[in-house]
Amino acid sequence: MEAVGQAILVLPEGIQSDPNCSGYLPDCFIAVLQSKPDSKFTQQELPACKPILTPKWVVSAFMIIAIVFIPIGIACLLGSRDVVEVVERYETKCIPAANINNKVQYIQNSDANKNCTIQMKIPKRMKKPIYVYYQLDNFYQNHRRYVKSRSDKQLKSSKNENDTSSCKPENLATGGGAIVPCGLIAWSLFNDTYSFSLQKNNQSLAVNKKGIAWKSDKQKRFGKDVYPKNFQGGGLKGGGDLNVSVPLSEQEDLMVWMRTAALPTFRKLYGKIEVDLEANETINVTLQNNYNTYSFNGKKKLVLSTTSWIGGRNDFLGIAYLTVGMICLALAIGFTVVYFVKPRRLGDPTFLSWNRGPGSH
Amino acid sequence: MTTPLQRYTHYFVGFTLFNVLIQVTRLVKEGTGKTTLAIGDGANDVGMIQEADIGVGISGVEGMQAVMASDFSISQFRFLERLLVVHGHWCYKRIAQMVIIKRLSRFSLSSICYFFYKNIAFGLTLFYFEAFTAFSGQSVYNDWYMLLFNVILTSLPVISLGVFEQDVSAEVCLQFPALYQQGPKNLFFDWYRILGWMGNGLYTSLVIFILNIMIFYNQAFRAEGQTADMAAMGATMFSCIISAVNCQIALTMSHFTWIQHLFVWGSVTTWYLFLLLYGMLPPYYSEDAHKILVEALGPAPIYWCTILLVTVACNLPYLAHISFQRCFNPMDHHIIQEIKYYKKDVEDQHMWRRERSKARQETKIGFTARVDAKIRQLKGKLQRKSSTLVLPNCMPSPC
Repeated sequence: MEAVGQAILVLPEGIQSDPNCSGYLPDCFIAVLQSKPDSKFTQQELPACKPILTPKWVVSAFMIIAIVFIPIGIACLLGSRDVVEVVERYETKCIPAANINNKVQYIQNSDANKNCTIQMKIPKRMKKPIYVYYQLDNFYQNHRRYVKSRSDKQLKSSKNENDTSSCKPENLATGGGAIVPCGLIAWSLFNDTYSFSLQKNNQSLAVNKKGIAWKSDKQKRFGKDVYPKNFQGGGLKGGGDLNVSVPLSEQEDLMVWMRTAALPTFRKLYGKIEVDLEANETINVTLQNNYNTYSFNGKKKLVLSTTSWIGGRNDFLGIAYLTVGMICLALAIGFTVVYFVKPRRLGDPTFLSWNRGPGSH
Repeated sequence: MTTPLQRYTHYFVGFTLFNVLIQVTRLVKEGTGKTTLAIGDGANDVGMIQEADIGVGISGVEGMQAVMASDFSISQFRFLERLLVVHGHWCYKRIAQMVIIKRLSRFSLSSICYFFYKNIAFGLTLFYFEAFTAFSGQSVYNDWYMLLFNVILTSLPVISLGVFEQDVSAEVCLQFPALYQQGPKNLFFDWYRILGWMGNGLYTSLVIFILNIMIFYNQAFRAEGQTADMAAMGATMFSCIISAVNCQIALTMSHFTWIQHLFVWGSVTTWYLFLLLYGMLPPYYSEDAHKILVEALGPAPIYWCTILLVTVACNLPYLAHISFQRCFNPMDHHIIQEIKYYKKDVEDQHMWRRERSKARQETKIGFTARVDAKIRQLKGKLQRKSSTLVLPNCMPSPC
């Protein structure tokens, strides 16, 4: 340690020497206070709320969550249980016995008979409207190249017919003209068709194919003056055909199909049945098995489903709410027990680390 | 004497016994709550020098024992005043700066931990989704959502955390320098915190992704029968992230002014405003997000239910952790917050003074060495500086 001896001194900030003073030097040191105009903002003295987590708050928080979540969970579960859903897988059933070993060839053969009949049994009474969906498995509509392959400009207006650069390879027909609508998404349009009839009296059930697409698609994204042109004209046929006399704003199947799904297993709305179906009825479905899912081992399913306030049938939301609610209830009870059994007096200085001895913090 | 000396300390001069000196110093320290300085030159003064907050040893007649035990040493008693006025002031400032820098660095660490947390939570959901797109690189979120995530939707609350957060007020902070003591225990504690936040981010990302996938799966998500496309699921997942991370930062804050409220709840509101306005743009710009909030998601109860569920599920472990920690293993600043909240410092002033003096004692370790180094540095500067003040050699001796 070196001693601070007599030395030259630089006065620190805030201390000055009074120039009028002579004599005993330390008396001449003046502490100068510098006052700056400080606002409450810069001094960090804004009115503040400083909540601390007392036992009361902890238990209340968990109890409130439990009290809110458990009823919501029950409501969601009941809403989901109300939904009646019938699913029928048909892509293997609908291959004729003769073609079971060359499915791809069969499906690609445009002359082959693709008619198929399946039965669907209704387990519970289904109230109208009953929604008809087709479900595809192992179909990656969310693949990056697939999602990019469309031209929104072209869909919107006939003026932009030749805006097909993002649609490669499905942009130009073999003759050279632009394909409308271009791109892989439109090219792979699903084209199985279904017609329903009651088995008991062969009464056919009408399927309403209007109103299945989003209104904003009909009004804003698909133009009223755009008609299909050279569709599926690129050499290889990837899916269904489009009626050239119907403008795109009326082609609801196309609109529904072009809303790319998030997961490789997805359903899309086909139509609505506007009559009630009674329990234990059997529905005969006559379908055209046109769509090729056999090249990639995809599955095809037909779904009839009612809806409730929560949508289709999925118990997961209700179960998840109930689980979180139960966990919070358990935590609330657990903390209450602990606070009674081993209470810690709040603000007790014996819990400060320097009072607790080594090994604390 | 009418020097600044009296303003700063009380002092005892005595030739008394070893134990008595120590006990008297302790009494003065704890009883008055003021900073005590002890000065001595002999071996019997060593205990008193170490007991006081600041110990000054005089080297000379009785040997170097007092000098070895002290924080400062001087060669003559008359230099004490200069020591107090100049170096005492500097030391106080230094401690204050050190404490403030420590506090800032502690909150910077908080902000950095949070930054890692929210980006891990966000980024991993993108990564998980890739498994469902055959690893083609398709992102589940619209490009604009991802752009705005770090720019405006989650950045403002972090700034307010770093700048405005006060777990204890500034005056308490300076009274309890031990709150920000650096030591081997604290170093480990920081790594634990960082890893804990990263784990929280991982958990959050899993909860957000799995819950959204399972809830939206493939069935209709509305009473009108429509199924969710990638745009709807992406917007829902993103809304969940925004709510969850902003709720998380609100839980870490202990000091809420109108600024914090504005930034945190404002961030969530900004997201909805953005989604609304972006949806209103023509489909050429907004593509699949056109009118998504107004037409598809807003009227769907499942959307709001999902956001509520995911936000609570993501924040539940953290809430349980801090409740548990407060209850069984409270940190020093928690106790001090409680003392201030229940006004126990006002009721029991003796206890408050005693704890403050104990807190100061905690910072003695390393303090002496740092002061020493700073004095050496300043001495070097003094010799180099052009504007200096030369004092006369003779000063009357106070003894």
